[in-house]
Formats: sequence, structure tokens, C-alpha cells
Amino acid sequence: MWQYTLKRLLQGVITVWFIATATFLAMHSVPGDPISGERAATEAIRANLAARYGLDKPLGEQYVIYIGNFLKGDFGISFTQQNRQVNDIIREHFPVSATLGILAVLFAALGGVLWGALTAIYRNRLPDTIIMFLVILGISVPSFVFAALGQLALVNINNFFGVSILPVAGWGTVSHMIVPALVLGMGTMAYLTRLMRSSMLEIIHSDYVRTAKAKGLPAERIFLKHQLRNAILPVVTVLGPAIAAITTGGFVVELVFAIPGLGRYFVQAVQQLDYTVIMGTTVFYGSFLVFMVILVDLLYGWIDPRVRVQ
Amino acid sequence: MSAPLLEVQNLHVEFDTYGGTVRAVRGVDFKVEAGRTLAIVGESGCGKSVTVQAMMGLIPMPPGRIMQGSAKLRGVEILGRKTIEGREVRGAEIGMIFQDPMSSLNPTMTIGDQIAEPLIVHRGYSRSKAWARALELLKLVRIPEAEKRAKQYPFEFSGGMLQRAMIAMAISCKPTVLIADEPTTALDVTIQAQILDLLKDLQNETGMALILITHDLGVVARMADDVAVMYAGQIVESGSVDDVFYRSSHPYTLGLKLAMPNNDPGRHDTLQPIEGSPPDLFSPPVGCAYAARCPHSMRVCEARSPEQFDVAPRHYSRCWLHHAQSPHRADGLFLGGGNE
Amino acid sequence: MSDLSSSSSVTLSADDFAPLPHRDDIHGINRPSRSYWQDAWRRLKSNRRALFSLWLIIGLLAFALIGPFLWQVDPSRQDIDQISQAPGADRSAEIVPEYTAWDGSVQPGFESDATGLRIGADANSQSVRLIWDAVPGANALRLYRNIFPIDGELAFGLPIAEFTSVEAGFYEDRLDLRPDTYYYTLVSLDQDMNLSAQYQELAVDVRRVITLDEVRERELVAPDVELALGDEVKLSFHPFGTDYLGRDILARLMSGARVSLFIGIVAPFLFVLLGVAYGSTAGFIGGKVDQVMMRIADFVVALPFLLFMILFQVVFGIGPGESGILPMLVALILLSWPATARLVRGQILQIRQEAYVSASRLLGAKNYYLVLRHMIPNTLGVILVTLTFAVPSAIFTEAFLSFIGMGVAPPTASWGSMSNEGLATMLTHPHELIFPAIFISLTVLAFNLLGDGLRDALDSRMRSLE
Repeated sequence: MWQYTLKRLLQGVITVWFIATATFLAMHSVPGDPISGERAATEAIRANLAARYGLDKPLGEQYVIYIGNFLKGDFGISFTQQNRQVNDIIREHFPVSATLGILAVLFAALGGVLWGALTAIYRNRLPDTIIMFLVILGISVPSFVFAALGQLALVNINNFFGVSILPVAGWGTVSHMIVPALVLGMGTMAYLTRLMRSSMLEIIHSDYVRTAKAKGLPAERIFLKHQLRNAILPVVTVLGPAIAAITTGGFVVELVFAIPGLGRYFVQAVQQLDYTVIMGTTVFYGSFLVFMVILVDLLYGWIDPRVRVQ
Repeated sequence: MSAPLLEVQNLHVEFDTYGGTVRAVRGVDFKVEAGRTLAIVGESGCGKSVTVQAMMGLIPMPPGRIMQGSAKLRGVEILGRKTIEGREVRGAEIGMIFQDPMSSLNPTMTIGDQIAEPLIVHRGYSRSKAWARALELLKLVRIPEAEKRAKQYPFEFSGGMLQRAMIAMAISCKPTVLIADEPTTALDVTIQAQILDLLKDLQNETGMALILITHDLGVVARMADDVAVMYAGQIVESGSVDDVFYRSSHPYTLGLKLAMPNNDPGRHDTLQPIEGSPPDLFSPPVGCAYAARCPHSMRVCEARSPEQFDVAPRHYSRCWLHHAQSPHRADGLFLGGGNE
Repeated sequence: MSDLSSSSSVTLSADDFAPLPHRDDIHGINRPSRSYWQDAWRRLKSNRRALFSLWLIIGLLAFALIGPFLWQVDPSRQDIDQISQAPGADRSAEIVPEYTAWDGSVQPGFESDATGLRIGADANSQSVRLIWDAVPGANALRLYRNIFPIDGELAFGLPIAEFTSVEAGFYEDRLDLRPDTYYYTLVSLDQDMNLSAQYQELAVDVRRVITLDEVRERELVAPDVELALGDEVKLSFHPFGTDYLGRDILARLMSGARVSLFIGIVAPFLFVLLGVAYGSTAGFIGGKVDQVMMRIADFVVALPFLLFMILFQVVFGIGPGESGILPMLVALILLSWPATARLVRGQILQIRQEAYVSASRLLGAKNYYLVLRHMIPNTLGVILVTLTFAVPSAIFTEAFLSFIGMGVAPPTASWGSMSNEGLATMLTHPHELIFPAIFISLTVLAFNLLGDGLRDALDSRMRSLE
């Protein structure tokens, strides 16, 4: 298991290096130099940047400087905001995105497992039909539509009751987080519900559940000890991609709900073509996702003895 | 002759499928006595597994349905009931083991926990007491290094070892009946013999009745006291192992025997397969289900389903050839002659 | 069955015991044999949801391809009389004279005894003319306009004018008037020009009017129709309403459908093709080449997909005069092929092991024959299913990028960019967001259902337990 962990971490480091390099190359294949373009920053920033990144030097040297800075954990400074460090931006805004993301992942995973198990047990009966209809909708509706509809619903609910039940936008208190997290997790929850349902159906008809019944175990015990644990395994394997989907989905949810997270900042930087912020946040997000996937793999190894023991 | 420990009467089971309703079991009767072994023999899809699973309440309903019939343990109805006389039927009164031990055990639970589980649930043992008993059971089924093995998961066991663990689990609550549904089909031949010996020994020690479901006549000859031959959802012939084997009185039994390899050095005849395939149980034939494949079929066989005839005391056959008016009745083909 | 005696309950005749002739039809159940594709098509046809989705897709394609010929409205033409018009809204307008300046005098018929803020003339989309009496005690006055009633939080809306005189006055509002209800407030300001608690409120219903010249200019009626002041004309018809620039939403949905469906169908088709070529080459050659090729694919898989889509759009995206469709297509293909390549390689490796391939090889089959005759047909089902499921994700990607402003460039419409624009006016004119959102969802739904159906029909191993 330790060897496996180490191997996965090493793979992760190589992947992050690859992401950093690909980002660097992508950014430097912009025709002309990004700073002297028409969207150029002020003279002061330009001088600062040129000195910092050695923009007059050949590409190879720039790459070495870039990787060096990256290894030191320095993502550079903003193009559009003078003297603003990308590190500071990440430090300030990422916790907000992370809080929202964790809530959404929790909501999606718990909801997916719960609804999936429920629909499998009530297969082809009313609860199954209703939930699976909603799931098909959930898979087909883009995250920004959920976000917009969520906000629209909030406005109407607040108007209907004449008081603000939950805030429509912004960040700060728990009440600000509820609806954005629900909205953000919705699509992933629908996907996980579907996965959990088919996994659960397979297990309901498995030989070992029949054995458990032949042993005369009560239904609750069969459900908890024999069905649920095994049915969750495939759900855990897709948590990595699910976290990635929720992270990028966070961009639009933060935008719609005016949440000061890194996602919204990233989208704004993209719209303003703030190259260093884009590069920094891309590499940061990329590394984050790579290590989340590794974390999920390790978690899977921990709950599946077949992986753990070997 | 003791009273039957378990008696099944007129059991009918159906399944709803997309293609229509399958009449998988169509009026099955059998009895098992304590300490004896009944083998239910038949080819794939004849309903032998469905019969015992229906009795154990293991058939998913829907799509399955028990139409009628009864199953009595010591005279008490168990169909549709979870407990009788305060004891759980499944797992405590009747233990069961299955064909494929690899898929029949929970892959994410240790062997020890799975064996201890019925003890905790049915006997109210503490976890440590149940675990200690699980180790004893593992030793009883001759698994070496029981302490270490109990902590392992199914994927770390071989097929034969897993089947031993399954047996340990099934007998943990000292059942009065043990059902073994093709227990050796998925195993190597050498392992098969070991598992069968183990079952025999355990039966001798505990005096439990054994219902052995198999399609292997060799296993039947080795293990069974009584035999029931199933075809297309019905028992076509039943009796003691000697009666059924040496005085076969149903053409299907005879066909099975002729299709079986024999290592008798004096015999040189080729194997004779039974031609054709079993009838479609979506719409079972009106008459005898075997009529289409039977070399002795008569007009009545297509028109009427055969009744159960007494061939000899405790030896029954469902074949019109045994009808009092049948002209072929005494031709000796089935009654003790013609084979072996 | 209880009677276990050989004396039967039935009496039979000798005829009953006559032997039956041997039958030849005992060898199993005879069912007509069908080819794999015939069988798959039959299964797909019996799947009502898949069939429904197939019709839905045909309908959407017709909407994109044939629609613009039936509804010939320029998607970028602005109808400035109808901005953010909801579908089914009143389109009538009364013809009025040309605008003339106002001197503050009350129009006949609008004299009233009421005091405070009131209208001094007919309120229409040409102008709203407000008059008020002196406000004693105030230092100055500020006039606000809102589209919502003034609630307890005293959100007055848009400040449109400020007056240093607190005497009776008048103001003419001509700012972007729509046929709607406006809530004007005249708020007294204190010494420091801060809002005081004293204000007067007036709700004004604005009527739509149009001048004769405008009617002629916009060709709302045939040139030979005589019109007079006071007549009513109908403005142009927009079945799905208009957006915030007065563009016809139906026409934009149709042209947006072309963009969204183009990216949604062409990109998956191309990257699946690339993936099949790559994966089958790697799988077929095997060995070192396979190792290297798959390692490259692994690296591309490791890239966070949407982040790199964004990055790509930033780098190669929308230049001057471009629609941004081509860079998106290229980026989608570059980032998406490895999944298919992996899948196809796995299938090829599996099929290579099969006995029928060895048999074919033994009989002297050449490599290209093996690939064409055995490998491709046996992976086609899996490839088709992959392709169907790739469509919704490509449509999602396009919509996502356009939504955050990194997709197609204005004025090109796509469903994603329309949703993006609709978001701004979501609270007042939800139809601008809802229509494109419905189209995205319907398309994705249709392809998802079709994918499920195809998977069930083509491959029992991949069949989901539904």
C-alpha cells in the first residue's frame, strides 16, 4: 500500500509538470509577445514583468525561470492589477471556492448514494420513476442553467414570503452557501445517482446477497453490510472526475451568485486576458485536481480490500 | 422408517419475463428424512435450483411467484415464513451452499466475519464469541491456519477453500437440513471429492438431512440415499438410489444414464446423447414434457400429462408406460432389466 | 398427486398407446436468424425512449437546417421598438404625431385637482411628462425611476434628474421607454444633498406609440395602406420574443442551433475518428509502439479538460472578425481523442486474442483484411455508443465556454452565448435565458437517451440495468 501511494504521488508530480509545461507552451504560442499586444498593461507593470520573466530572453531560458518560480511556489504577478501576486489571489479566493466545492461534493455524493440506493430498491415503482425522471433532467441541464434557475427561484421565494429567506447572491454566512452548493452539486448528483442505481441493482441480484438472505440475515443488515458497501465502490472510483466537474462548474456558479471565489476570479482573468493569472490559476487548479484524483484512488484502495491487500 | 423431516408438496413456481410467464416448477413433491441424503438430478434449466430456492424464500418476487404448494419442516409450514417454533428457518433450521463460492461470498467482508454473522444474528452471540466459534468451524471444515485465514477476504482463498468456508457458514447454527446447490460444479475434480467427503462426514456427525442438487450422476451415486429426477419443472422419477439407477422406470432417467460416460472396462458402447432440447416452459406441452424426445412416446403422451405411478414401494415414475392398460408395461425395458 | 397407486384414475383406449412417429422438429426452438445489426435495430425500435429521442434529434436538425428557410428573419437585426419582449406580448402601437418639445404646460384633459407628483400629458413610449407642486422644506429634489414598486427598503431605482429648485416643476422622461409600468419617485434632498425620508411616488402605465414615418420605415404595413393618426398598427411578430437588443429569439435560436449542433456533432465525429485511428494503430501494432503511443494519450488525459479548453480559447480564440467556432473545434478534438483511443485499443487487443482472428490469420488473411473484416465491425457498436455519448458533452462544453464568454464571439449566436446574454436580464425577462437553456437541455437529453438505447441494443455486455 505504501509503495502504491508513493507510486501514485510520483505519477502525480510528473503529471503536474506536464500540465505546467503545456500551459507554458500554450501561453507562449500566442502570436507575438502577450505583453506588448493591444491589451497591454501599463508601462510600469510591463517593465516589472519583463524583468521578472526575462521576456527578452530565449524561450528555453524563460522556461527554466518559469519552472524555477513554480518550484518555489511562486505563480507570478497579475497583469492587470499592479503588484498583485497570483499567490495572494489564490490564497484569498481559493478557500471560498474550496468551501463551496466541498459542500457540493458532499451533497452530490451523499445524495447520489441515497437516491441511487432508493431507486434500486424501489425499482420500476413510483419513487424510482420519479427520481429517475429528475435524474435524466439533472444530467441534461447545464450547470449554469441550474445556477440561474436556483437564483430565480430564490428571488421568487423571497418575494413570495416578503422576507429574505436565503440571500440571492454574495458570500459570508452559511445561508449564502446552501443554494449555490445545491445547484453546483446537482448535475454530479444526478450522474452519481444513476451510477449508484445500476451498481446497486447489480448487487441486489448478486450471488452473495442471495447467500446473505439464505443465512437469514435481516433486511437492514443485508442492506448495510452487504449491499451498500459494495455498491458504493464504483461511485468512489468516479469521485475524481466528479470533483473536477464540480470545480469547473464552480466557475459559473460563482459567477451567477457573485461569490468571491477563485473560479469567478479565473473567469474574470480570462475575460480580461490577464495572462499570468490565467497561467497561475490553471496550473494551480490542474495540480489540485491531479492530487484530488490521487486522493480518491487512495481512498478507494482503503475501502476495497482487493486493492488494499495487494 | 422415520417421519419425513422436510416434505414438499405440489410446488408450483412461475416467473414473469419479457417473453411471457415461465412455468419453471410445475408440481413438485419430495421428502427428506433426517440423516439421509436426497439428490435432485436434472439438466440445466429443469427447475431444480428454483425448487429449493422457492422453499428458502430466495426467489425475487416479483418477477417470481409461488403459485401453490407447501413445504413443511417437522410438519410446520415454512413457505412464506421466516421463523418456525421461534427459530429462523433460513440460516438456522436450513443451511444452504451455492454453486460458485467465488461469487457467493461478500468480496469486502472477511471470511471470519461472514461465518460469524449468522451466530451473531440468530444466536445472539457477542462478536468475540462468534469469532471464536467461526475459528472452530473453519477447523471443522479442515481449513489450515484458521486464525490467519479468518481475517482474509474471499479473493485470497482458492475455490475449494471458499466452498469449505461456505459450508462452515451454512452449518454454523447447526441446521437440521443442509441444501447444497451444485456444490462442486465450479471446482476441480480432486477438490470435488474432498468437498463431498466433507459433506458426508459432517452429515454423519450432526445427523442433518442433506439435499444435494446436481446434474452429475457420479455425485449422486457417491452421495445419495434417495434420488429425484427432474425434467421440465416436474419430478419424473423418484426412489432410492438403487431403484432409480438399477431399475430406472422413466425413459428420461434411462436417457441420462446412457448419456453418461462409464469407465466399466467391459462396456464398449458409445455415448448416446438425448436428442433435441427441453420444451419451452413459456408454454409447457399439454402432455408429457419429454414426449417429443422420448423414443417410446405414444399418443396418450402428447394428449395427457402423465400421472405419478407406483413402480415399486417408494419408487415412483411419471410415465404412461406404467399405466395398468399399457401394453408395453411388462416388456422389461425399465423394470429392472435392460441396463447394467 | 396424492394417489400414489398404479391404478390410474383414467381409463385409456388401446389407441392411446399407439407409438408416435419420430419427429424431426425436436432439435430446439426454431426462431428466424437475424444479423447483429438487424437484431440491434429491432431492439432499438422497441425502446420507446430511444425512438422518441431519435425523432427529437431529427426535429432539432430540421429546426437548425430547414428552420431558417421557413422563418426568414435576420438573427442579428434589431427591432428597437421591441426590446426584451416576452413571447405573446401585446404588439399593438398607436400612431401619434412626431415628437415636439414640451414647455411644461398641462395637456387638455390632464388637468386635475390632485397635488404632488402627477402626469401632465398622455404617457406613452415617446415621452412621460411629469409635473409636481412645490416641496416645502426640501433643499433640492431628485427624480428616480424604477420598474418595480417602491418597497419597504426604499429602492428608488434609476436617478434620472436632479432639481435645485423646490418650487413646482416639470420633467419630461424620454429615456428608453417601453410599454410597461414605471414607478417614479420625487425625493427631497437635505442640506448635504442626502436623501431624506420625504418622497412622493407615482406609478405610470406607458402605452406604446409609433409615428407614421416609423411605420413606413419599418414596413409594418403594406405601402398602399392608408394610415391616419390614432390608427393602431401591429409591430413585427416575434414568436419567442426578442432579446435585450431587440433581436428575434426564434431566428437566433435557429442560427445558434447551427453553431451548437455543428460543434456538438462534428467535433465528436472527428475526435472519435482520430481516437479510432490512433487506438487501433496502437492496439494492432502492439509492443513498444503501443506503449509509447498510450503513454502520450495518458498525458493528454491527465490535462484538466475544461481548464485547457479555456486556455486554448484564450490563446487561439477569438481574433478580430472571427466567430471562435474553429478554435473551439480544434481544441475539442485535440483534448478529447484519448478516451476513444484507449477504448478502441482495449477492444482491438481483446479481439486480437479471439480464436476467430487466429483462425482467419491461419487461413492467410492479411493485416488490412483482419482490421477491416474483424476488428472494425466488432468494435463499431462500442464506437457508435461512444460517439453518441460524446455529443452531449461537446454541447455542454460549447455552452459552458460561450457562457463564460470564451466561446463564440458576438454577433454569432450559439445557445451558450444566448444563455450568457440572457443571464443579465434573467430577473426581468427570464425568457431570454429559458429558451436557449431548454434547447441545450433537450438536445443533451435526446442524445443521452439515444446513447442509452444504442448501448442496450448494440452490446449486452455494456447494457445498463434499467
